[in-house]
Amino acid sequence: MAASEATIEVRDLRKHFGPVAAVDGLSFTVVPGQVTGFVGPNGAGKSTTMRIVLGLDAPDAGSALIGGLPYGALRRPLQHVGAALDAAAVHPGRRGRDHLLWLAHSHGLPAGRVDELLEQVGLAGAGRRRAGGYSLGMRQRLGIAAALLGDPPVLLFDEPVNGLDPEGIRWIRGFLRRLAAQGRAVLVSSHLMSELEDTADHLVVIGRGRLVADTPVAALLAAASDSRVALQTGARERAMTVLSAAGATVAATGRESLTVAGLPAERVAELLGAEAVPFSGLAAHRASLEEAYMELTRGEAEFAAVPEGEGPR
Amino acid sequence: MTAAGSAGAGAGTGADAGAGGAGVAVRTEGGGVAPYRSQLPPARDGFLRLLHAEFTKLRSVGRWLLTLLAGAVVTVLVSLVSAGGSDAVTSGDGGGGGGSGAAAARVADSFRFVHRPLAGDGSITARVTDLTTGADTDAPWAKAGVIVKAGTEPGSPYVALMRTYEHGVRLQHGFEHDVAGGAVAGDAPVWLRLTREGDRLTGYVSVDEGTPANGGTPASEGVAGGGEGVAGGGGERWREVGSVSVAGLPETARAGLFVAAPETVRQERSFGSLDIGTGPSEATGVFDHVRLAGGSGNGGGDGGDAAWRDEAVGPASGPAAANGPAGGAERSGGTFTVTGSGDIGPLPPAADLTWMSLAGAQVGLIAFAALGVLFITAEYRRGMIRTTFTAAPRRGRVLVAKGAVLAAVAFAAGLAAAVVSFLVGQRALRSGGHRPPQFPEVSLTDGAVLRAVVGTGLLLALVALFALALGALLRHTAAAVTIVVVLFVLPLVLGGGLPLGAVEWLFRVTPVAGFGVQSTTPRYEQVETVCVPEDGCMPQGPWAGLGVLAVWAAVALALAVWRLRRRDA
Amino acid sequence: MREGRRGTVPDAGAAAAAGPAAGRAVGRRGVRRERGPGAGFDGLRAAGRAARAEWTKLRTVPGTWWLLLAVAAVTAAVGAGAVSGLSTAHCPPAGCREDVVRTSLSGVWAGQAAVAVFASLAVTAEYGTGTIRTTLTAVPARLRVLAAKAAVVGAAVLVAGGAGAWGALLAGRALVPVGFAPYDLGAGPVLRAGFGSALYLALVALLALGVGTALRDTAGSVAACLAVLYASPLVAGMLSDPEWVERLQRYGPASAGLAVQSTVGTDGLPIGPWAGLGVLAAWAAAALAAGGAVLRSRDA
Repeated sequence: MAASEATIEVRDLRKHFGPVAAVDGLSFTVVPGQVTGFVGPNGAGKSTTMRIVLGLDAPDAGSALIGGLPYGALRRPLQHVGAALDAAAVHPGRRGRDHLLWLAHSHGLPAGRVDELLEQVGLAGAGRRRAGGYSLGMRQRLGIAAALLGDPPVLLFDEPVNGLDPEGIRWIRGFLRRLAAQGRAVLVSSHLMSELEDTADHLVVIGRGRLVADTPVAALLAAASDSRVALQTGARERAMTVLSAAGATVAATGRESLTVAGLPAERVAELLGAEAVPFSGLAAHRASLEEAYMELTRGEAEFAAVPEGEGPR
Repeated sequence: MTAAGSAGAGAGTGADAGAGGAGVAVRTEGGGVAPYRSQLPPARDGFLRLLHAEFTKLRSVGRWLLTLLAGAVVTVLVSLVSAGGSDAVTSGDGGGGGGSGAAAARVADSFRFVHRPLAGDGSITARVTDLTTGADTDAPWAKAGVIVKAGTEPGSPYVALMRTYEHGVRLQHGFEHDVAGGAVAGDAPVWLRLTREGDRLTGYVSVDEGTPANGGTPASEGVAGGGEGVAGGGGERWREVGSVSVAGLPETARAGLFVAAPETVRQERSFGSLDIGTGPSEATGVFDHVRLAGGSGNGGGDGGDAAWRDEAVGPASGPAAANGPAGGAERSGGTFTVTGSGDIGPLPPAADLTWMSLAGAQVGLIAFAALGVLFITAEYRRGMIRTTFTAAPRRGRVLVAKGAVLAAVAFAAGLAAAVVSFLVGQRALRSGGHRPPQFPEVSLTDGAVLRAVVGTGLLLALVALFALALGALLRHTAAAVTIVVVLFVLPLVLGGGLPLGAVEWLFRVTPVAGFGVQSTTPRYEQVETVCVPEDGCMPQGPWAGLGVLAVWAAVALALAVWRLRRRDA
Repeated sequence: MREGRRGTVPDAGAAAAAGPAAGRAVGRRGVRRERGPGAGFDGLRAAGRAARAEWTKLRTVPGTWWLLLAVAAVTAAVGAGAVSGLSTAHCPPAGCREDVVRTSLSGVWAGQAAVAVFASLAVTAEYGTGTIRTTLTAVPARLRVLAAKAAVVGAAVLVAGGAGAWGALLAGRALVPVGFAPYDLGAGPVLRAGFGSALYLALVALLALGVGTALRDTAGSVAACLAVLYASPLVAGMLSDPEWVERLQRYGPASAGLAVQSTVGTDGLPIGPWAGLGVLAAWAAAALAAGGAVLRSRDA
C-alpha cells in the first residue's frame, strides 16, 4: 500500500458526451517523485480525465485509480489527493480563510492547519478578506492551499499558471518542484507546453481523447533537438563554406547566425578554429518543448484554425 | 541531457539554468524518491464532519446571514401589520351566542325547550315523527330530540339526544362533545330515549317502524337498566348510542323536548371578495309517545298539560326574533309540535388571533426559500461543487448534511421570528380591540399556541429544505426560487378569488398545506362555520398539514439525491 | 462578485466612451445626442439596429423559448384548472355572480412569475456572463440599449402572454360548468380582459427589466419582482381594515393591473380596468427609470 499510495493509474478510460468522445481509451500512470505534465490542445480531454480521476464524472468504461482505489472509495479523500481545478470556484462573499476552514472541517482538521497553509502560499495577510476581492493570482494560491490542506501524496492541478504574472509563474513552478521532491505524485495540466518547460519531468500528451505520447521530458527534447548546432558569426559566408566542405548541412537563420546539422559542436569549433573563422557564439541547438509538442500534436487540435498566416495556437 | 549540458548557454537563460539545476537534482534521483508520507495526524471522517463543514459554509457568507435575518424581520413586520391592521369591529362576526359572562360567550345555547322537572334517576322517551325546516332555511344541523338539562339558563350542563336534518342521530353534551348515533331514513320516525342514573346519562335509539304496542311506548322498565340492546314492547329494539358522565346536573334537572336550527351560513365568493351571509332559520319537530319516567312527581308521560312548560332558552333568534319570542310549541293529544331556532354547541372564536399574529411567515418565507436555493446553486454557479465533492465523494450524504444544517439554522431563525411575531402581534391585536370575552386571551403556554409557534419554525425550515432540494434538482437559482415562491404564495393569493372547492383542494395538496400548523381554531364537526383557508381555517389538521409539506420536501430531496448521484458534477 | 468583476475590468466605461461612436460625444455619465437636422432619422435607424441586435441575442438563447412557452402554458393551464373547479355549491339562491372571465384568466397570477424570470434574465444574464461589456462597447449609448431591450422583451411577452390569455379564455369557455353562463369571446369586456391581460404581462416584463437593470443580479431581481407582485395581495388578504385593503388594491402593481380582467361589477372595483393598468404602467416606468439611472451612472 505504501508504495502504490502515491500513484494515479488511468486504464482504458472512455467518456462520451453525446456523440463526442471526450476521452477515448486513455491509459497512463503518474508516479511519485516527479512532476508529470498533462498536455494537449484545448478540448483534448484533460479536464474530463481529471474530473473522472476525482470521481466527479463517471467514466463510460475503464478506470482511474488513486493508490489502487477509485476516488469514491477513499474514506478521507483530502488526505490522499489534493486538487486545484478552477480558481474561480470560490464563493465571492466568503473570506478566503473560511473557504479553507469548511474544507478542513469536512475532515476534522484543526483550524491551525488552515493558517499554516495560508502562510505557506503567501495569503496570510489576505485570509480575512472576501474571496470576491481576490486577484486571479490570489485565487490560484487559495486553490493550491485547498489542495494541500490534507497534506496528500497525490496532487492534481488543472492549468495552475493560467492568468498568473511572471512572478506568480516562477513561484508556482518552484512550488511544484518542491512538492515532487518531497516524493509526491504531481499531475499538472496545461495546453501550453512552454509553461511546463522547466517544471515537468515527464509528459503525458493527449489529443482528441487519445494518448499521443507518454515520455520523459529529456527524451522528448533530445529527439526533437536532432543534434543541431547554433552558430553566431560575423563571417557567415566563410563559415558556411568551411562547414559545408566538412559535410554539414548549413542553413542561415539570420544575418549573423547559422544552424549546422550533421556535426557535433566540438567538431564545428575545431573546424572553424583551424580555418580562423571568427565566431562569437556556439551552442547546441535546444529545441523548445513547444516545438517538440507541435511536432507531436500536429493534426490533433480539435478546433484547428484555418491556416491564415498563423498556425493553430 | 546533451542539449542542456552544453557550454554556450546565453546570458538570458541564466535564471532558467538556476531553476533547471534544482530540477536536475531531482531528475537524477527520479525513481529513487520515496513516496510522500504525510506527517499530519490522521484526519477524521463521518457525518458529523460533513455537518461541521456545511455549517462553516453557511455562516461564512455574510449575504446569506443577511437573507436569513431579512426573512425573520419581514416575518415579524408583516405579522405586526397583519395584527395591527385589523380591528375587532370589522373582524367580529357578531355571533355572540347567548347571555353574558365569559363562559356563556363562547357557547351557543338557545333553543325551544318543552320541559318538566326530573328528580333523581329516570328517563325521557319520545318518538320524533317529523323534522322540517322553515322556508329559506338550509340547516343540515337542524335538530329535534330529548334533553336533560340542569336548568333553563344558557350555558348550564346538559345531555341531549337528537335526530338532525342531515346528520343522523346524535348524542351531545358539554357543548363540545358529539357522538354519532347512526343515520336515519329521511322521514322515518325515530324513537329516542335518554336515561339518567346519578351523573351518568345514556342515550338509546330505535328506528323500528311498526306501530308500537303497549300504548305506543316501549316498556320503560327494560330500558332503565341500561343494558346495551333492550327489547321493548311492540318489537322495539333499542340500541345504545352512548353513555356519558356529566358533572353539575342538580338532583332535580329539567327534562323534555327541544328543537333548534342553527343560522344558515351562506358564502359567496367572487374574485377578491368573500361575502358571508348568515340567515335566520327555524325548524319544526313533531313528537309523540312522549314519556317521562322517574321522579318527576307526576309519573306518566301523559301528565297534565300544566306540568309541561314551554320556553325559549337563550336570546331570541330565528325569523320571528325581531317581532317577538321565537318559535313555539303546540300540543294536541299526545303529539307535540315544537318550532325553534338557535343551536346548542360550541361557538368558535370569531378570529384566530394566533394565526393573525403569525401571518408574516407567508411573506417571510420568500427569504427562506431564496436562502435554501442559494445554498446549493451558488456552489454550482462557481464550480465550487467540485471542491465539495472531492472533499466528500458521497454526494447523497453531502446533500443530507446540507439539508440538516440548513433546516436547523432556518428553524432557529424561524422560531425566533415566530415567538417575536406572536408577542408583538398579540399586543397589537389587544390594542386593536381584540379583548375578552369575545376574543379570549391566548398565551404562549397554551398547547395549541405553542404548537402554532413551534410549527411556524418547522414550516420555515421545511420551506428552506424544499427550496434546497429544488435548487439541487434544477441548478438554476432564478427558476428554483420562482417555483418555490409560486408554489407557496400563489394558493395564498388566489385563495381569495378561486372557487371554495378549488381552494380547499389547493390547501390540501400543495405545500401551502403546511400553514395548517399555524391554525389554532378548534374545529367541531357538529357546527357549520364560515371556514375559509385564508382566515386560518384549513381543510385538515395542523400536523397533517405540516406533514403534507414534509412529504413535498422529502420527495424533492430524494429526487435531488438520486439526480446528484447519477449526474456528473 | 460584482466588485470582483469591476476589479478585473478597470474601466469599461472608458472603453465604451472610446467605442465606435465617432463624431459624437458619448460620456459615461451622460449620453448627448446630436440634435442637428437628420439626427432624428439617424437615431431611429440606430435604435432599430440596437433592437435587432437585442432580438438576435434573445432568440439565440434556448432559455428564451422555454420561458415564453412557460408563460403561455402556465397562464392557460392554471386558468383552465380554475374554471373547471368552479361550482355552484356556494352560490346564493338568486344565482351565481362569479366573474367567469376573470376566473379563466387567473392563470396570469402564475404566468407573471415566469415573465419576471424571463425579463430579469434578459439583462441580469448579461451581467452574470460579462456579455454586458461587449454589448456596451457595441452600442455605447446605454439608454438606447435599455430601450431596445424593453421593446424586444415587451413585444415577446406581449405575444406569449396574448397566446396564454386567449388560450385560457378559449379553454375556460369550453370548460365552464353548468350553472354559469358561457361568455362571448367577442364581447367588449371580454376583449378588454383578454388583451388587457397580455398588456399586463408585458408591463410586468418591463417592471422586471427595470428591476433587473438596477440590481444586476438574477436571484435578487427575481426575488424582488416576486415580492413586489405578490406581497400586496398577500398583505391585503391579511388585513381587515377595509381602508387599507382598498389602498393596497388600488396601488399594488398586481392587484391594480389585474382590474383589467374584470367583466362583472366593474363599478364596484377599487380601481377601474384601464386606470389599474395605468398604475402598473407607472410602476414599470419607475422601475425602468431606476434601471436607466443605474445603467448610466454605474460602471458596467
